[in-house]
Amino acid sequence: MDIIRKIWNALPFPDQTKRLLIIFVFFITGWLVVRHHLVPPTFGQRGYYRAAAVDSIAALPISFVGQSQCVECHVDEGAVKTASYHRDVSCEVCHGPGAKHLDDPSANSLLPAKERTLCTVCHSYTASKPTGFPQIEPLTHNPADPCIKCHNPHDPKPPTTPSACGACHGEIARTKSVSHHASLECTFCHQTQELHKISPRAAIPGKPANRDFCGGCHSRSADSPKEIPRVDMDSHGDGHLCWQCHYPHYPEAL
Amino acid sequence: MDKLIEQLQHNLSQVVGFIYPNEIELHWGILVVVYPYITGLVAGAFILASLERVFNVKEIMPTYRLALLTALSFLIVAPLPLLLHLGHPERSFEIMITPHLQSAMAMFGFVYIWYLMMVLVLEIWFEYREDLGRWARSGKGWKKYLHYLLTLGSLDHSEKSLRFDHKAVTFITIVGIPSAFLLHGYVGFIFGSIKANPWWSSVLMPIVFLFSAIVSGIALMILVYGLSTLIRGKSIDMACMNKLASYLLYVLIIDLSLETLDFIHRVYESVESINIMGQLISQKLFISLIVVQLLLGTLAPISLLVLSKFLRLPDELKRLLFFLSAILVQIGIFSTRWNVVIGGQLFSKSLRGLTNYKMELLGLEGLLIAIGLLVLPFIILTVMVKILPPWKDQKPAVS
Ligand code: HEC
Ligand code: HEC
Ligand code: HEC
Ligand code: HEC
Ligand code: HEC
Ligand code: HEC
Ligand code: HEC
Ligand code: HEC
Repeated sequence: MDIIRKIWNALPFPDQTKRLLIIFVFFITGWLVVRHHLVPPTFGQRGYYRAAAVDSIAALPISFVGQSQCVECHVDEGAVKTASYHRDVSCEVCHGPGAKHLDDPSANSLLPAKERTLCTVCHSYTASKPTGFPQIEPLTHNPADPCIKCHNPHDPKPPTTPSACGACHGEIARTKSVSHHASLECTFCHQTQELHKISPRAAIPGKPANRDFCGGCHSRSADSPKEIPRVDMDSHGDGHLCWQCHYPHYPEAL
Repeated sequence: MDKLIEQLQHNLSQVVGFIYPNEIELHWGILVVVYPYITGLVAGAFILASLERVFNVKEIMPTYRLALLTALSFLIVAPLPLLLHLGHPERSFEIMITPHLQSAMAMFGFVYIWYLMMVLVLEIWFEYREDLGRWARSGKGWKKYLHYLLTLGSLDHSEKSLRFDHKAVTFITIVGIPSAFLLHGYVGFIFGSIKANPWWSSVLMPIVFLFSAIVSGIALMILVYGLSTLIRGKSIDMACMNKLASYLLYVLIIDLSLETLDFIHRVYESVESINIMGQLISQKLFISLIVVQLLLGTLAPISLLVLSKFLRLPDELKRLLFFLSAILVQIGIFSTRWNVVIGGQLFSKSLRGLTNYKMELLGLEGLLIAIGLLVLPFIILTVMVKILPPWKDQKPAVS
């Protein structure tokens, strides 16, 4: 006791700070102890995270193996699909996780789904999908049959070459058919090769390039039926392209 | 689930223009408004107390200890809105044991602890040590032991030791002013450094936050000092009130100038976000920004304070005007926080559309909880005042 008192008195700062010091030492030690016990040992080894997390994630069971594994054995399906529209759709998207199938193919059969819902996940119509993404309205597109009756899932090109542009550009065709431009053929404005209907990206159709194209029917001097409304090409629309203001497939909407 | 969808539908019907799907509902609600409001009060009250210490302003002496206790009560409540807002509050301690020096958000715990332990609690302890010792000796009942415990057994009342207390308090105050700036400047920094959000991203943000904090702190002390004196049946020290009111006026003017500077700067720069900002102010924030923050919360109190300063009014009327200004200022500063936090989330990052904030009433992040959080500091303050009476007039004449 005496010795402690002696040391206490010998410390060269005021009494109150010594007492505070004890409290601080207590708190800081507490913090160090808590830190020691609660911070995971591998924390901070490679970055601001628990390094062992990488191992625990690596230890999770694998369920998907990837397309490159499947085509090692299913060479034919692989070859067909690589040349088709579904080249970028991986096998396991439709067939489900294949890790077990790899271990023992006959015991773990990957039964292919045959319902229409498998295909409509990607192909039913949504306005936000990009132009040209093949979309159908499931309620009207051959509703009675499963899709695979007509489309080979590994090479899904339409069984017959579509005759109408609306087979693939349904939304535009429907819009145009109720617009004031209904009487105009698509091909009047878009020069289209036959190849476009079989392999759309191999032959991209043309599009009107300038104001004069529309002026062909709508300018004051145009040689076109009287009932077509006319505008003064020099002043109307401030020289901007016509379709910056008028949607060509539904021109009455501004 | 149905409730969520109902809420979403309500918000959808309020959306104007184009907005990304994850911007329709606000992520930071009223609790995140309460948080900067409360820390602002803490910093403001403390800076007021420091004025007395460092610049030796004798008039506001009566509010010194009260301001410290008020700051402490509010500081204790300050992290609660954040904790209630977290999905997993029980994990919050992790920011304390694995400090991340490059993340301003993650440093909150340290800024907070520094200010709480190293500044406020220490300053209060040194300031009260002498009184605590006296109460521990002459008091009775449980309070006697509590006071003894609080002295940490340090009962040395020699002149040398008291002089040390005094020096310590002054020293801590000097360290404390930058710390108070740090605490609230930090909150402004959090918002000001979000570069993706043109409403927030501004170097002026921490400074504007700071001055609005001082404004709200002084107004709070006018209210707390005035009301507590009335409740105790003592007479209000008019010299002190006048001084507080003048400070309030000056800081309000600085605050207004800074906000105006920020505004002019934005209009002059006219970067691409200016159109949506204009719509935000004229459609969604018109009431809370133009009417409440600017007219009611800034211009009205400035005029009232100028009036009471230059007209020869009776003390009773003056006091009434001061109270009224202080209340208006509180409402104004609360809507300042609202306009920053809520306003910053009402427009789309596409700068093409606006959404709407629908406040809950009952939920964990609802209005009632927010009101509870704003009342809680006053309950803590009442208890604190019982244990550590700040009134000098109760003290027998020992210096
Ligand atoms: C090691 C070679 C091997 C690999 C790799 C492999 N399979 Fe198979 N797969 C087989 C064999 C063998 C069968 C036939 C099993 C049977 O008839 O019972 C089969 C059958 C199938 C069947 C069912 C055919 C049917 O008529 O029932 C599907 C579907 C299938 N595999 C898909 C896949 C997919 C998808 C992958 C990639 C994840 C894959 N396979 C990887 C060998 C393999
Ligand atoms: C778009 C979805 C889809 C993708 C992608 C897909 N399949 Fe299929 N697959 C099916 C469907 C549906 C059937 C069932 C066809 C039937 O019963 O007529 C099937 C049948 C099979 C069969 C059974 C034999 C056959 O040809 O009828 C094998 C084997 C097979 N697929 C392997 C693969 C492999 C390997 C891949 C990847 C290279 C793959 N599949 C990609 C949908 C798909
Ligand atoms: C994971 C999404 C996905 C699923 C599931 C899917 N497809 Fe596809 N499909 C695509 C993609 C991607 C394309 C290629 C689009 C392109 O090239 O722009 C495509 C193209 C097509 C085409 C267009 C061929 C052409 O000539 O334009 C048809 C038809 C088709 N798929 C039918 C089906 C059928 C039938 C199924 C169901 C067995 C199915 N798809 C399942 C993604 C999918
Ligand atoms: C009765 C046969 C039949 C069935 C069943 C059928 N289709 Fe088709 N599908 C066609 C034909 C034929 C075309 C060519 C366009 C046309 O003439 O309508 C086509 C066109 C398509 C296209 C447009 C191709 C493109 O490039 O845009 C898609 C996508 C498509 N089908 C998907 C499906 C899906 C998904 C299902 C199942 C829900 C399905 N089809 C069921 C016969 C069928
Ligand atoms: C087999 C489906 C299919 C048919 C049938 C079809 N198209 Fe297309 N079309 C596409 C696809 C897919 C694209 C998107 C190509 C791209 O942008 O990569 C496209 C793109 C276009 C474009 C836009 C090109 C661009 O530069 O953006 C026009 C215009 C067009 N088609 C017109 C037509 C016309 C006119 C017809 C009828 C004569 C038609 N298409 C028939 C699939 C089809
Ligand atoms: C009056 C002339 C005109 C007619 C008729 C017309 N188009 Fe177009 N189309 C245009 C113009 C002009 C553009 C370019 C619009 C743009 O670039 O914004 C265009 C763009 C397109 C595009 C690409 C942009 C988009 O909106 O997706 C497609 C696909 C297309 N047309 C398909 C069709 C189809 C299919 C038809 C027939 C059903 C059709 N068009 C009829 C003038 C026309
Ligand atoms: C082949 C001639 C022809 C061409 C080329 C043509 N249009 Fe038209 N346009 C018409 C006809 C026919 C009408 C419908 C007149 C009526 O209401 O009876 C029309 C109507 C319009 C209208 C008025 C819609 C309304 O409010 O009634 C607009 C706008 C218009 N077209 C814009 C365009 C644009 C833009 C282009 C160029 C992309 C274009 N047109 C090219 C024939 C043409
Ligand atoms: C800057 C936008 C803009 C552009 C660009 C523009 N228009 Fe228009 N257009 C309008 C507006 C607005 C109206 C309706 C008001 C009016 O009658 O002037 C209109 C009306 C029309 C009409 C209907 C006139 C009537 O009498 O009903 C036609 C036809 C038309 N435009 C054709 C064109 C053609 C062709 C071009 C390209 C050479 C074009 N517009 C470019 C904005 C534009």
